[in-house]
Amino acid sequence: MAQIPDFLAKEDELGISLPLLFESRGYKKYRMSKFEEYSFYSDNRKFLTDDGVIAFNNADGRLMALKPDITLSIVKNAKLSEKLTRLYYNESVFRISNAAKDFREIKQCGIEVLGDIDSYITSEVILLAAKSLEMIDRNYSVSVSHNDIVLSLIDDCDISIADRKRLAGCIGGKNTHDFRRICRECGISDETADKITSLFTIDMPINDAIGRIEALVDTEKTVNALNELKTLCKTLSACGIADKINIDLSVTQHIDYYNGIVFRGYVEKAPAAVLSGGRYDLLARKIRDNIGAIGFAVYLDNLNLYYRKTREYDTDILIINKDSGNTDKLISLANGFCSEGKSVCVEREKPDSYRCRATYIFENGELTEEEKC
Amino acid sequence: MLNIALPKGRLGDKVYNLLANIGYDCSEIYDDNRKLIFRNEKSGVCYLLVKPSDVAIYIAHGAADIGIVGKDILEEDKLDLYELLDLKLGKCNMCVAAPENYIEDLDRPLRVATKFTNIAKNYYLSLNREIEIIKLNGSIEIAPLLGLSDVIVDIVETGTTLRENHLKVYETIMPISARLIANKSSYKFKNAEILDLVTKLEKELAEND
Repeated sequence: MAQIPDFLAKEDELGISLPLLFESRGYKKYRMSKFEEYSFYSDNRKFLTDDGVIAFNNADGRLMALKPDITLSIVKNAKLSEKLTRLYYNESVFRISNAAKDFREIKQCGIEVLGDIDSYITSEVILLAAKSLEMIDRNYSVSVSHNDIVLSLIDDCDISIADRKRLAGCIGGKNTHDFRRICRECGISDETADKITSLFTIDMPINDAIGRIEALVDTEKTVNALNELKTLCKTLSACGIADKINIDLSVTQHIDYYNGIVFRGYVEKAPAAVLSGGRYDLLARKIRDNIGAIGFAVYLDNLNLYYRKTREYDTDILIINKDSGNTDKLISLANGFCSEGKSVCVEREKPDSYRCRATYIFENGELTEEEKC
Repeated sequence: MLNIALPKGRLGDKVYNLLANIGYDCSEIYDDNRKLIFRNEKSGVCYLLVKPSDVAIYIAHGAADIGIVGKDILEEDKLDLYELLDLKLGKCNMCVAAPENYIEDLDRPLRVATKFTNIAKNYYLSLNREIEIIKLNGSIEIAPLLGLSDVIVDIVETGTTLRENHLKVYETIMPISARLIANKSSYKFKNAEILDLVTKLEKELAEND
């Protein structure tokens, strides 16, 4: 992989290194327009976060949206090859933050695979997720789950959509006390509530987790989901990253869209997940005929804040130009420093608070080094 | 080192005593000064004293690993956190209260005075009732008495303030108590320390019950 210059901010660094990683596995860049018809997003509103969509009228009077999501757009617009399409993107999405009530541009870099998704593809995607996180911070963790294990048990209970949403909220927050209370209010038996609680509080390394889940699942759907999880875990262990993977069954994604393995990625210095992904055949099939889909996005915004790089020097060399001519010679001298791999800046006067390894004065066609700054 | 955000005030004092009893003491916290950060290397904790309504924000942004906050704040702010324990302290209810002789007029939007605007909106949305929110920051009880609103949505502990202002509980929205919350990333990277504290706290709460 190419050497990334050290001075780049984390976000810029990842904007180069992640595409290189994805290209190395045969993913092709997908570039998209920033605009899409608003109706497309309003039809798939539930797939988006609670944040609002920025809408406006174009010159023809059509209601347009600044792209609030990339996955939806790729599923709708990408030209698919016969068997499998591997794509990556490095784009911004635009949303109205419900909390701050202002417009936000969120930079994302990620992959989408569309077509016949098998266990190899699933493992490849999660391995790429792990490698992406490692590029941010060697101290990373991937929380893997299967959407069908916990959510299918809730689906088996005869409850309203509103109560289902309340219970899903408790699962995501590892909130057992309110989960049990809501179950009692909905007439779900203590036995079922205990079983689901025991499942969604599982958040542990692969080997410990699989045994625990095995003892708790018995329906066809949950057993199939566990088997899928086991196959994945076996591959990830063989790849030597088992210590970076946690089975965390509180990780769930919207059940109308996601139908299999789902995952989130954390790095030590960021307070929230910086990567999110999963299998979303159900969404893909709402838009395209009979295809499977899996992918993830890395959220690049704020990484510069958590992984701040401080530069010791503005440039290696500062040349103070006190000459009125000799421009050719000055440029040649500056080029000389650059060809030695040094950064150089030429100024008429030394700027305030300028930091450099060495300062030179250029006067009467001669370059002389000043004392260290 | 675990960074723990404690709410300033009575609830924070109660929770600190609970944590000190299970080995997370930091006696400096009792010193009469204006410090807001207290560290005890020996017990491996650093307490941050913050405004109760800000605890969850500190946790969500990773400025603290865990914290104690009222369920009212969690429901109002809806931040992405883990809610690990119900400490069963500071118990009260989020209620709709109205004047003692109040009769609801269903022919117009209900005027609701509250500082919990999201809780009120979500509650009435679930009832499909059109409302007009009047956001207040304190002394909510006087709003219906002055004709500013029809009802209020607020926390009711004993009901004394309501009675003294000739109001009564009209509907109960949800029970409220103090909750132990954790930052999601801290939960991954300081898992053993957080689980150790949760286990000890659960045991202490069971013994106190």
